[in-house]
Formats: sequence, C-alpha cells, structure tokens
Amino acid sequence: MAIHLNLLHEEIRQQRERQRDPLKIGMMVLIVFGAILFCYYMFNAYRTLEIKAKLSAVQRQWVKVEPNVTAAQKRSAELTEIIKTTRVLEDYIEDRFFWAPFLEKVSRCVAPNTQLTNIEGGVEGNTQEGTRKVALLIEGVAAGREPRAAAEDLRQMLVEQLGQSYRDVKIEFKTLEDLDTLISVGGTNTAMAHYILTVNFNPKAPLKPAAAPPTDRGSKKR
Amino acid sequence: MKALGLSKDQIKKIGLSSMGMVFLVYVYFTFFLGPLNRSRNTMLATMDDVQNKLSSSKGELAKAVTLENQAKAATTRFAALKALNPEGAPIAWFPPRIKLFFANEQIDKAVARLENSVPFKEPELADWMRYNWMINIPQADYSALGKAIADLENAEPLLSITKLAIRALPEQGQSQAVDIVATNFIPKK
Repeated sequence: MAIHLNLLHEEIRQQRERQRDPLKIGMMVLIVFGAILFCYYMFNAYRTLEIKAKLSAVQRQWVKVEPNVTAAQKRSAELTEIIKTTRVLEDYIEDRFFWAPFLEKVSRCVAPNTQLTNIEGGVEGNTQEGTRKVALLIEGVAAGREPRAAAEDLRQMLVEQLGQSYRDVKIEFKTLEDLDTLISVGGTNTAMAHYILTVNFNPKAPLKPAAAPPTDRGSKKR
Repeated sequence: MKALGLSKDQIKKIGLSSMGMVFLVYVYFTFFLGPLNRSRNTMLATMDDVQNKLSSSKGELAKAVTLENQAKAATTRFAALKALNPEGAPIAWFPPRIKLFFANEQIDKAVARLENSVPFKEPELADWMRYNWMINIPQADYSALGKAIADLENAEPLLSITKLAIRALPEQGQSQAVDIVATNFIPKK
C-alpha cells in the first residue's frame, strides 16, 4: 500500500474550517430563509393587489349605484311618512262628529208646542282611549194642557231619533219645572214648563242586533 | 456543544446567527407580512360590505318602485289635503275664508278668532299643527245654520267642530246666536 503524505494539511484544515464557519453557514441560511420569506411576501402582495383591484371595481360600481340607492331610500322614507300621515289624517277625518245630521234629527223632534231656547255642548274624550262621547244640554219650554208630558214626548222622540244613528244614547231631565206664565197657542191659553235635558251619546253608529240563529231544517216556517 | 466538537468561537457565531434569524423573523412579520395581511383583511371586509350594499341596493330600488305604485292614492290624497290650506299664516286667511263661506250660505257677520294652536302628540303629524278657532255668528236661521254646518263639514275635511252653542234670540224668534269651536289641521310652514 502506498504511503500518502499530506504536506498541505495545515492549509486544507484551514480551508475546511473556513467552509464550516458557523457564521458563514448562518448567513447563508439567513439569505435562503429571507429569500423564501420574500417570495411568500410577494405572493401575498400579489394576492392583496388582486383584491385591491377587485375592491376598486366594486367601489366604482357602488359609486355609480349609490346616488340612485340613496334617492330611492329617501323617497321610500318620504313615501312611508306620507302614507302614515295620510292614514292618521284619514282616521281623524273619519272620526269627526258631524253636527249637521244631529241638528237635523233634533229639529225633527221639536213639536209645535215645544221650543228650544239653547243647545250647548261638544265632543269630549278620545277615540283611541274609547272615551269619546258627545255631551249636550238642551234647554227649552213646552206648552199644552200637560206641558210636562209635552217635554217628556220631546225627550222620548230625541231618544228614539238619536238612537237610530248613535250608540249609548242617554237623555235625562236635568230640570223640569212648571212656569207661572200662560201662553196662547191657537187662541187657547195653555200652561208652560221649562226644561233642561242632558244628552249624552257615543257618536259611533249603533250596533246592529245579532242575526237570528239558523232554524232547523225540519221545523216549519210560520 | 462540546460533544459536537464546536469551539467557543463557533458557538458565538452560531448564537449570532440565531439572533440574526430571530431578528429577521421579527422584522418580517412586524413590518412586512403583518401590515400586508391587515391591509388585505381590511380590503376584504370593505369589499364584503360594499358587495352587501350592492346586493341590497337592488332590493331597495325594487322596494321604492313598489312603494311608489302602492302609495299613489296616499300621495294624491295627501297633496289634496295639503292643498286645502293656502300658503301664509292661518290667522291671515282662515277668518276671511270663514266669513266668506258663511256669507255664501246667507249667514252674515260670522267672525272667526284664533283661540290657540298646539302641536300634535302623534309623531306622524309632527309637521302639522292643530289650530283651534272660535267662530261667532250673531244671528242665523236654524235651517240655514244646519245647511251651512253640513256644507262646512263636507267642504273642510280637516276641520272638525268640537263645541257648539245655539241660543235663541228673545227679541227675534226665528233667529239664533251661534258659537262654534272648531279645530283645523294645518301643515307647519
């Protein structure tokens, strides 16, 4: 076997040591790792740019649509408000108490031997709370052989007439007193009575009576 | 380390390299990848938001068109109700209007006075005011009064009579003095 003499072993050892230098290796690892990280960063940056482009496109689209949408939203809100306001106003209009039909009914009840001297009253309460009612005072005089009976006739006529159009009609005498003075009706002197009627009713239309229950098939009609 | 055959100098260099690695990773995530990811996430969230807005905008537009069609009757009615009241302060136009109205009904000398004006409690009527008027009629025939009140109630849907007082005039058997308290709904100017 031939003997090999390494006369440059010192140089070779130094060269190996230089090659195994941890700092150098570390730097190389760092550079490689840095390169990998840089590639990953570039990949992410590319994706981000792609998303940015998409976002710009979507935003451009939104900028085009936004004025229309804002206008539509504004108009919707305006229309909703108009609808609500109109509904509330309509409710008020529908809930009004009409005095003309009431005055007409009162005029129908006044017989020639009675006279009204004062009608005073108003609408009270609230529809929403269910407390709405009309309260009035009707003052007048009645004449005849039985003036109190004439006044009572007027009261009953009012109950009947107002009961046709309104609910919970309640008419009572607050005052009914004979007067000392006589009045000439058709050439005859008759006695007089002074009355004040309190009138209360709910201005809603009266409830219709419940429908009769259906008859049995077998039963005969009379 | 000695088992690996590393010298002191080499161990120092390995430590230095490790510190360099940690520093690199820290700088990379803190100043490069972190902000990039945050920016991307923000953009994604913004895009989602805008896309949601875009998709809901179609619904909004369709809803507005449908509502416009549905609200035709209400808008017409609303415009008609608003047109009942002329421009200007109600105190300027309401009393002459009432005077003229009753004059046309053969009832003279009707005088309307403003009692007060109050806002509505209902939020829907925030733009409207309730004006309370006292209308005095010194002399009127009962049947003419009834007809006039009927015409007034039909002609003025936003007006409602809340109180009425009719007193017979002793010296004029066929005539009555009338006080009417009426409420009128008028939009705020």
